[in-house]
Amino acid sequence: MSEKKKKYMKKSEMFTFGIGLFGVALLTGWMPDYTQTFFADFAFKGKGFDSSVISSQISAVFLAAGIIGAVIELVTGFLIDNTRTRLGKAKPWIGFGAVPMAIIAMLVFVAPNTRNQTLAIIWMYVIYSLYTAVGCAVERPAECFGALCSPDPSERSSAISIASFMKSVGQSGGMVVVLVVGIVMKAVMGQQQYKNAEAQGLDLVISTAVCALGFILFVMIFFINNKERVPYTREKVSLKDAVKVVFTNKNLLMVSLTKLTGFGRGVYGTVSLYIAIYLLGSKDLKLALLLPMGIGTAVGTLLVNFVLKKFSTKQTYILFCVYGATSLAILYFVATGIGFNSGLIIPFLILNFFCGLQHGNTNVTPNIMIADCVDEIEWKTGKRQEGLAYAGYGLFAKIASAFTKALGPWLLYTWSGYLVSTDANVAYAAQTDATLNKFLMIYTIIPAAFVILQGLPILFYDMVGDKKEKIVKELMIRREAAAERDYDEPANDAD
Amino acid sequence: MADKKKKGLNLKLYGIFAILVTAAVLGALTFFTYTTRYTAFDPEKMAVAYVDTIVQTGDGYNAFKDTLLSKDMKFGDYIRQNYINPVVYENYKPGDSTKGLKGLNDESLKGEKTLGDNGELEGKVIDTMYPVFVSLVETNNGFDNYDAIFTQYIAELQKVREEVFGDKYFDDEAFFTAFEANLAAYGESLTGTEDEYDANTGVQTKIASVGAYQEKFGEDYKIEVVSAGVAKNEGNKCTVNVNVNVNGQAEVENLPVTLQKIGRSWYVDNTACDTSVLYTFYK
Repeated sequence: MSEKKKKYMKKSEMFTFGIGLFGVALLTGWMPDYTQTFFADFAFKGKGFDSSVISSQISAVFLAAGIIGAVIELVTGFLIDNTRTRLGKAKPWIGFGAVPMAIIAMLVFVAPNTRNQTLAIIWMYVIYSLYTAVGCAVERPAECFGALCSPDPSERSSAISIASFMKSVGQSGGMVVVLVVGIVMKAVMGQQQYKNAEAQGLDLVISTAVCALGFILFVMIFFINNKERVPYTREKVSLKDAVKVVFTNKNLLMVSLTKLTGFGRGVYGTVSLYIAIYLLGSKDLKLALLLPMGIGTAVGTLLVNFVLKKFSTKQTYILFCVYGATSLAILYFVATGIGFNSGLIIPFLILNFFCGLQHGNTNVTPNIMIADCVDEIEWKTGKRQEGLAYAGYGLFAKIASAFTKALGPWLLYTWSGYLVSTDANVAYAAQTDATLNKFLMIYTIIPAAFVILQGLPILFYDMVGDKKEKIVKELMIRREAAAERDYDEPANDAD
Repeated sequence: MADKKKKGLNLKLYGIFAILVTAAVLGALTFFTYTTRYTAFDPEKMAVAYVDTIVQTGDGYNAFKDTLLSKDMKFGDYIRQNYINPVVYENYKPGDSTKGLKGLNDESLKGEKTLGDNGELEGKVIDTMYPVFVSLVETNNGFDNYDAIFTQYIAELQKVREEVFGDKYFDDEAFFTAFEANLAAYGESLTGTEDEYDANTGVQTKIASVGAYQEKFGEDYKIEVVSAGVAKNEGNKCTVNVNVNVNGQAEVENLPVTLQKIGRSWYVDNTACDTSVLYTFYK
C-alpha cells in the first residue's frame, strides 16, 4: 500500500496566498504607469511650470527610483534572511509593511499645492523613491513566501502556480478599477462634471484609493490565514556572504541569467501600437492586440501547473521556450503570407493568444526553481536564504528591464527606418514595406530569438530529478532533528 | 509537559485594525485631495478656472465646460444636439434621439476622396476654416455669443468640406476636428510656439513663432488669474470678482463672474457674464 503523502498547507491557504499576491499586484501594477501620467498631466496642472523640464525630470525620477529599487531589493533580501520572529521571516514584512505602503502609494497622488517648480520636482523624487523603497520591502517578501509556505516541493509548486496566476490577473486589475471608477463618477456627477474632474486627475486619485484599499484587504486575508512552514535557520548571514549567494550558486545564477539572456523578449510591447496602426489598420486595435495575449498569458500560467506534474521544471522551461519561439515564428510567416491588410486581423489576434501562452512559463517556473535553489543552498551551507535568492532574481529582472527599455525604442525608431509625420494634420506618416516588415520582426522574430536565448542558461540547471529528491529528503531529516533539539525553544510557528 | 499557550500578536485583530486604519487614512486623503482640487465645490475657484481657461489661450470654447450649459450633459453633446444634429438630420429637434435616423452622416454619402484621405484633405479644410474662425471670434468679441459662432461656423464648414471632398457627407467629427484644430492654432497665435522635435527621431515637427501675448508682454510673460473676492452672495447665487495679472501687474481688474449653485456644485452663469475684455486686453 502506498504511503499517503503528508499535506502541510490547508486548502484555503493555497487560495489566500494567491489572494495576497493578487492584492500586491493590484497596487504595484497600478502605480508606475499611472504615477507617470499623474506627474506629467495632473499633479501641477495650471501652476505654470515648464512642461519640458517636468517631462525630463519625470524620466529622471523613474531612473532614480529604479536605482533605489535595485539597492533596496538586495537590502530587503538581506533583512528578510536575518529576520527571526514567531511569525517567520517574510510574513512580518508583508503584514506590517502593507499599511505604510498603502498610505505612501496614496500620498504619491496628493501633490503639494505649490507654484515653486524646484519644490515640486523634489517632491516627485522623494515621494516616488519612498514608494519604491516601501514597495520593494513588501513585494519581495510576498514573492519569496512561496518558498516558505511548505517544505514539500510539489505542494509548494502548486501554491506558487496558483499565486502566479492570481498575480498576473492582479497586475491588470487597476485598468478595471479606473474603468469602474469612471462609470460610477459619471453616474454620480453627470457627464461634463466627470470630464472636469477627470481633467484634474481626480479619477486617478480615487482609483488609487480603491487599489490601495483592495491591496490592504487582500494582503490582510493572506496575513491572517497563511503560515510559514519551513523553519528558518539560526545562523547569522553577513551581507558579504548574502550577496555571494546570488552570484555563486550555479543554479540560482542560471535562473537569474534567464532574465538577462532573454531581455529582448519584451520589445514587442514597444511596437504593438505601430502593428495595430500599420499592419492591422487602426490604432484602436492595440487593446484588441494585447487582450488575446493577456488571456493567453493567464491560461499559460494555469497550463504550466499541469505540465509541471508530468515534467521537471527544467524540461517545462525549455519546452515552453521552444514552443514560444515557434509560435512567434509561425505568427511572422502567417503575417507575411497574408500581407498587411484587413484579412490579417483575425488570424493575427488568434495567433497572438497562442503566443501569449509561453508567458505563463516565465511567470511561474522561475519562482518554483528559485524555491528549489533555496533548498539546495540550505543543504549545502546550512543557511536558508529565500530573501536574497528572490532579491537576486529581482535585481537581474530590473537590469534586464532597463536593457529592454533601451533596445525597444532603438529597434523601432532607428533600426526599422521609421518615418515620423511632419504634417500637423497627419498623425502617422506612410512607411516603406521594409519598415513594416521590420515592425513585424520586432513583434515576432526578434522576441523569438530572445526566447531561445532565455532558455540557454537553463540547460545548465540541475536541481531536478534524483538530486532534488535527495536534497529534499535530507533537509526533512535535518529539520526533524533540529525540531527535536528546539522543542523548548521554537524557531517560528512552523508546524 | 503542560501545553503552554504562546502569547503573541492576535493576527485577526491586527488585520481588522490595519484595514480600518488604512481605510480611514485613504478616505481622509481622498476627501482632502478631492475638495482641494475639484473646482466646482468653491465659487471662487470655479470663477478663477473659468477666466483662466479663457485668458491663457483665448479658449472661450472649453471654458463653457464650467458653465450652466454643461450641467446636464457633456458640452460636446450640447453642441451636437443644438447645432450639429439639426444640420445632419432633417427635422431634428434638440433632445430627439438619433437612433435609426438617416442623415448626412450616412456612410453611403462618403465619396472616393473621403474614403481615401490620409489627413491631407482634412488639413486643407482646417486651414481654410481658420480665417473664418478668427473672424467669428473677433466680430463677436469672444465666445459669449456662442450661438452665432457655432451656427455660422458649421454653415461655412459644410460648404468648405463639400468643395474640398466633393461629397455631401457631414458628421460631428468633421466639426470637432476642424473647430478644435482652429482653436488650438488661435491659442498659439496668442502664446507663440517653440521649436518642437519628435522625441524619438529628432525630426523637427514645429517651428518657433512669436505670439500676440509675447509681443505685448515679453517672451517670458506670465499670466495669473486670481479672485478679488466674493462681491455678492445670495445663497445659491453669487458674483465673484476676478483679476487678471500679467507679469505681476493687473491688466483686468474686478471682472464680475456670476455663478449658480446646483446641488453641491457651482456653475458659471454664462448668460450673466461679459468676457469680451479677455479677448482684447493685450491689444
